[in-house]
Amino acid sequence: MVAVKDSWPLYINQDSPNDPVFVGIGEIPSGRYPDRSFIGDLTKVGLLAIADAGMVPTDIDTIMLIPNLHSFDDQADLVFSRMVEELGLSKKAKSSFMVHSGGSTSDNAVRAASGLIATGHARSILVLQCEHWGSAEVSAMIHMLTKNGIPQEWEQVAGLQFNAIGALITKRYMYESQSTPEEMASILVTLRKWANLNPNAMFRDKPLTIEQVLGSRMVSDPLHAMECPMLADGAVAFVMTSAANAKDRGIREAVRVAGSGGCVSHYSIGQELEVGKLGWEIAAGRAYQQSGWKPDTADFAEIYDSYAAVTAIAIEGLGIAAKGEGARWFAAGTGDPGGEFPINTNGGLLSAGHTGVGGGTALLVEGVRQLLWKAEEPRQIAGCRRCVIGGSGGSYMDAQVLMLERVEYGS
Amino acid sequence: MANNITEEFRNGLSQGQLLLQKCLDCGKLNMYPRHACPHCQSDNLGWERAEGSGTLHTFTVLRAGPPQGFEAEIPYALAVVKLTEGVQFLARLSPDDQGGWDSYECDDKVVFSAKQTQDEIEKPCPWFARVKPRSTIR
Repeated sequence: MVAVKDSWPLYINQDSPNDPVFVGIGEIPSGRYPDRSFIGDLTKVGLLAIADAGMVPTDIDTIMLIPNLHSFDDQADLVFSRMVEELGLSKKAKSSFMVHSGGSTSDNAVRAASGLIATGHARSILVLQCEHWGSAEVSAMIHMLTKNGIPQEWEQVAGLQFNAIGALITKRYMYESQSTPEEMASILVTLRKWANLNPNAMFRDKPLTIEQVLGSRMVSDPLHAMECPMLADGAVAFVMTSAANAKDRGIREAVRVAGSGGCVSHYSIGQELEVGKLGWEIAAGRAYQQSGWKPDTADFAEIYDSYAAVTAIAIEGLGIAAKGEGARWFAAGTGDPGGEFPINTNGGLLSAGHTGVGGGTALLVEGVRQLLWKAEEPRQIAGCRRCVIGGSGGSYMDAQVLMLERVEYGS
Repeated sequence: MANNITEEFRNGLSQGQLLLQKCLDCGKLNMYPRHACPHCQSDNLGWERAEGSGTLHTFTVLRAGPPQGFEAEIPYALAVVKLTEGVQFLARLSPDDQGGWDSYECDDKVVFSAKQTQDEIEKPCPWFARVKPRSTIR
């Protein structure tokens, strides 16, 4: 056997001219919008993000697509560079391609974009996402959620589907932590309070109580209907560039990636060794080693939340809540608007709407928005500087962590 | 979809046996079965019959939105079972004596229950059930 070092030098460097930074974001409301056009939505959020960065489309040299789940035909449009044409970048764009790891795509897109920028393969990258599964045919979408991310030979034959995956995780989490149904439901209520402050959230106008959650029908024990995510249409975009380019363009504030960590723990839920823990603790250790800071010096977090238990497990693994106390952390109001540590300030997937692969992207964009101090009042976290982003894809196959921090450039 | 790995596993189930893939080079068990041993990368792979007992890592009772072909079966229970042999997988969980699943809890001991129905041939996955008190086994 060849001796191999178990660590390697880290090249993230804030002082590098090629340090990758977020400089612009775009978003349109999530919900059911059958009259909206897929390509129209992508064009709109792309142009919003480019304008937010103080750029024009020709400043972008690379387009990175986040996939949709509602239509393979629409997906093919993205894969084969339709957005280059739509944005007037024919013969100007250097590259257009898709990144895909399900719900954690946004985290991996940031890694991919950062790598391209840091190594000089790209200067300014537009990352685009749009999902229309809120207005797609329901039965087709349900069918898809019994196939994607579930091994056909071993688990589809047992009759598994996604709410059941969420329920398997919730059951084990509640057993290990002795969390009550009321404590689990309180997570939904915290998310709804944030959604009520977010004009882009699917449930922006609807309040929610613990009684409503627990009064809804049982879908897959212990999950009630209102504990399952609502499929939504939605679109977001963001622009990343190098620190040097941001400064040259007169950009005064941006968001850099201080570090990232990840852990792919399984493909099949039946192969996850610790269904009540997943890969969060391992991913967090890797991320904190790279960033040099932890959630105790962060101002807020945006953590994947397609089921409440997934987020409770994540905040425990990330060290935001004590072991076994994730759900009670929410029940105490710690993550609420005005609480000690704001979390999922757009309302999360459960209350802003589950926009497929876009759910995590919307959380990421909300994190960047808060750090750029661009969130609508009273949702803006005053003076925030550091955010922990957490993502997960497939059957919660991975835990992905991004450590984001605000940077300000002198004039 | 069937291939040589799934076919042998399913043949075992149809004969009331729970088969585990065993690497004939390093001796480790692989579940789910693989095309190369994830421990030593050998493709010299065979099978071993499982003893059939394990614990319930987690489970759920699906009551709505079943996959196509499972509409007539709801409610039904799905479980992640950890076998005493050290491997784990997704399985179906039989109802208890009351016809439901209320008496089950995580970490309960469960046993492989060989069934041979038409359903099992069409939807070949292992079924597990509560360990019966010793007196009722004989």
